[in-house]
Amino acid sequence: MDFRRKTRARVVRKPQYENLEIKYPHNVALYRTPPIEDIKINEFEDLALERLKVLRILEQANSKNLRFLSDEWKESVNTELNREGLRGYLRLCMGNSVNPSTDSNKYEQELQARRRDYISHFILRLAYCRTEELKRWFLTREMELFKYKFSSMSSTDIKHFLELNKLEYVPLNDSQKDSVKDGLYESTVGQSISKIEMLDFYKVPFTQVLDLVRTRRCYLKNGFAYVNTHDFVSIIAVIQLNEIEHGLQSAQKLIREVEADERIFHLLKSLHTSYTGKDYALNKEGIVSPESLDQLSKKSFPICMRGCHEYLRTNHHLKHGGRMQYGLFLKGIGVTLEDSLRFFREEFTKKIDAEQFTKRYEYNIYHNYGKKGSMISYTPYSCLKIIQENAVQDDCRGCPYKTNDASMLKVKLASYGLSSAHVQEVMGYVSKGHYQLACGKYFQIMHDSPVELGVHHPNQYFEESQNVMGNRSTKKLSNTKQANRNRRGGPENAQVMNADEDDELWNTAETQESTYNSMQAEKSAWNEDLDLTHIDC
Amino acid sequence: MPEEETSTVNTAKYDPNILPDMLPVYYKRLFPHKPFYRWLSYGLSESNIFANREFSYTLHDDIYIRYRCYDTQSELENDICSTCPHKIDIGAVMNTKPKNFRITSTAMQPVQRELVFDIDMDDYNDVRTCCTGATVCLKCWKFMALAARLLDAALREDFGFEHILWVFSGRRGVHGWVCDYDARHLDSRGRSALAEYLQITSNVTINGVVIARVQIGERMHHSVRRALKFIEPLFEEIVLEDQNLFGDVKGVNKLLLMIPDDTARKDLEAYLKKTHDDGVHSRTIWATFVRYANSMRTGTANVWTRKLKNIVEEIQLGILYPRLDINVTKGMNHLLKSPFCIHPGTGKVCVPFNCNAAAKFDPTTVPNIAQLLQEINAFDDKSKCQENGSEDKSRIKDYKKTGMFKGVVVFEEFLRKLESSLKAKAIDVSDQTMEF
Ligand code: SF4
Ligand SMILES: [Zn+2]
Repeated sequence: MDFRRKTRARVVRKPQYENLEIKYPHNVALYRTPPIEDIKINEFEDLALERLKVLRILEQANSKNLRFLSDEWKESVNTELNREGLRGYLRLCMGNSVNPSTDSNKYEQELQARRRDYISHFILRLAYCRTEELKRWFLTREMELFKYKFSSMSSTDIKHFLELNKLEYVPLNDSQKDSVKDGLYESTVGQSISKIEMLDFYKVPFTQVLDLVRTRRCYLKNGFAYVNTHDFVSIIAVIQLNEIEHGLQSAQKLIREVEADERIFHLLKSLHTSYTGKDYALNKEGIVSPESLDQLSKKSFPICMRGCHEYLRTNHHLKHGGRMQYGLFLKGIGVTLEDSLRFFREEFTKKIDAEQFTKRYEYNIYHNYGKKGSMISYTPYSCLKIIQENAVQDDCRGCPYKTNDASMLKVKLASYGLSSAHVQEVMGYVSKGHYQLACGKYFQIMHDSPVELGVHHPNQYFEESQNVMGNRSTKKLSNTKQANRNRRGGPENAQVMNADEDDELWNTAETQESTYNSMQAEKSAWNEDLDLTHIDC
Repeated sequence: MPEEETSTVNTAKYDPNILPDMLPVYYKRLFPHKPFYRWLSYGLSESNIFANREFSYTLHDDIYIRYRCYDTQSELENDICSTCPHKIDIGAVMNTKPKNFRITSTAMQPVQRELVFDIDMDDYNDVRTCCTGATVCLKCWKFMALAARLLDAALREDFGFEHILWVFSGRRGVHGWVCDYDARHLDSRGRSALAEYLQITSNVTINGVVIARVQIGERMHHSVRRALKFIEPLFEEIVLEDQNLFGDVKGVNKLLLMIPDDTARKDLEAYLKKTHDDGVHSRTIWATFVRYANSMRTGTANVWTRKLKNIVEEIQLGILYPRLDINVTKGMNHLLKSPFCIHPGTGKVCVPFNCNAAAKFDPTTVPNIAQLLQEINAFDDKSKCQENGSEDKSRIKDYKKTGMFKGVVVFEEFLRKLESSLKAKAIDVSDQTMEF
């Protein structure tokens, strides 16, 4: 049933298992003490990336505008967790504990999941303690994860949790409850009157449940909030929040020591920008010819790429950073290696001679496609990475919303056909530093239709744009399709003679197949696996 | 309390150009230095509570100086009298002396600060027809008075605060200072949650018109119910009579835009058009609207019985619920103009007022600095004629001789309560320590 990469399989021996139970006694942890355990660098990285994926999934659910912890929200998160093979986390989030005596196998897996959760949290603290911005992001995501886990606990679970963590809260007795009952009926949001009669209520200083206060979800009197068991999470969340905030501060002090190891240093430093989302390394939809780029760049490129394209067309040159950014993007939308070489050669040789081009630049393009050097096929840059580049203004590299100064950006947007009101709208986001939102707005204006998930990757921008245009103006799309088809004839005919091209196609075919397979597998997994019996951690 | 003011209507004109000449006298003779210090020293109940407080001043030509601080009352008094600031702002109590912030190694941070509120008449421009811009009349003031009373009740009942000072800002706004220990020590997260709790309206812009909307939801939260208790009885007087808000096409349009549902709005619009000519009195429009809404919401299930079932209440709240500048409240380090400053534009004193009697407070008769100086001169002259050197009489505090008197009385009453609760607390603490 397991359709994921097998790299994580591990054998668990009995003593370790018992040990785990003591170390990780509950599905929901407050992460109070750092784990003491030696782990290998590979696992270190593995755990970190895994958690990062989880947090990114939460972030994504957020950007879909789903109400936090609503059924749709949960469904979306669960589906993603499942898709990414993060079923250990899924299990922790769904809160259905197994009975250790009847199902020791599953119980072991649960313990392993707890361990991964626990250790990875502390690893990410190291990666996210370096700037206020990173801290904020991490804290927000971790709190979402915590609340999700907490919300799935049964009342017995909660009791156990409170005991383990030595948190003593005593509910109001009947007469105390009776004295405030009108207020409770009126102001306890999310519970029916009859439920309110049954529920336990706790009286706490309002500062302990600020999120309930903020949204007027509980009764408040004289500085005290009256909180029911279901909203209890708010109280614990504050404790957890303080715990993590505190932990981030301590991590900051520790960081130098940890980073003495260079591998860890690099890993931690680039963690947040490492890309864990959809793999845009190879385009699956079709092949795009360089001839169509002029038109596509106007319609379907985000401005970071449109800028590169136009710069290249007018100046017949792109610096290294720009070549990487744009070259990989082109690869991602479906420009073949061959076409890429031709495209860059045609432009560059307007300024330099062909020999120079071959000497100085060709390698670079092969490299992008994984045909030279390390042979790694590079992934197109995500917005996160592009935005974080320290690009200078005259370079094409970077996200223009960030690198361009306001007046220049305004001129640029206007020249792309935005009305001044629209320019203002986009600039509104820019001025607050919300570059990706600005980009999403731009998309919406250009396409008359919003980007569903927000912009997080230039290639995603491109794909969404193509989708929207497919729906909106069939005529235009069929043109491009036509163009594609025409072009496709070329390389396909050439495939016999060109080994590289051959590889390329193989890869494409392979990826397509595996995507299909995993989709199929997932479908069935989702049906059969709902009870989480077949977890292979 | 004596009947002395209002006896003669003092009409001295205020001229901003001579403000710099009047300020020295004002600070020397009228500014209530002693009570002011009593307030900000909080009985010296916490260490450095006064010494680390930031004061900042605006001088002539908008020169702005920050990070002033003082060890004693007389230091503060002397500095105010010698700098004669056009405006005094009160900041937070810092973890170190603010004036040393450049030379200390640790970063300066606020450790406590009154919880403050700022309500500005500007935010009511879309619902007042009596005045525009900077002018303010008794009718406008009703918005402010209601806002202050409503917030005061919420802060007391829901949050348990007791020591709240309400101050007229000198032109058209109102400032609230919550001075309880717990309020002063609330961190910025707490402040922002509290501010958002109190902000039940949200602004939407439709066709360039800003509309304050409220959504009550399934059950009415007790804080919203209380707000309605304040608002409902005054709605007719303020909105329908004084402002006649729906008395023209624009006003009716405003009413329509407050309905958050396009179809329902169009239906209502058609109904109102059919029933009334343009320009009928607000009272009539409102009555028709309420009747229409009620009949719709008791009918068969439709948008009025669901989404719009509280629409009448929601509109009342939307118009009259306090419109807060919550950013002022959220920050711990926000500077706010001190009570008893002179508003440089109007020359009026920022006087505290009694919130329970807010409706009786009249901002138009708050004295300006020119009047005040005239009043003490007149008093001096009179006492010179009548008295033959009775030393005692000249010891009467000068502000007691002027129209500022009431404001100072309100302030002193606030201080008396504050100090007695601080004392009670101190006794509490010493009792506890004795037990061990
Ligand atoms: S937000 Fe992303 S896609 Fe948009 S311009 Fe910036 S980097 Fe490019
Ligand atoms: Zn007025």
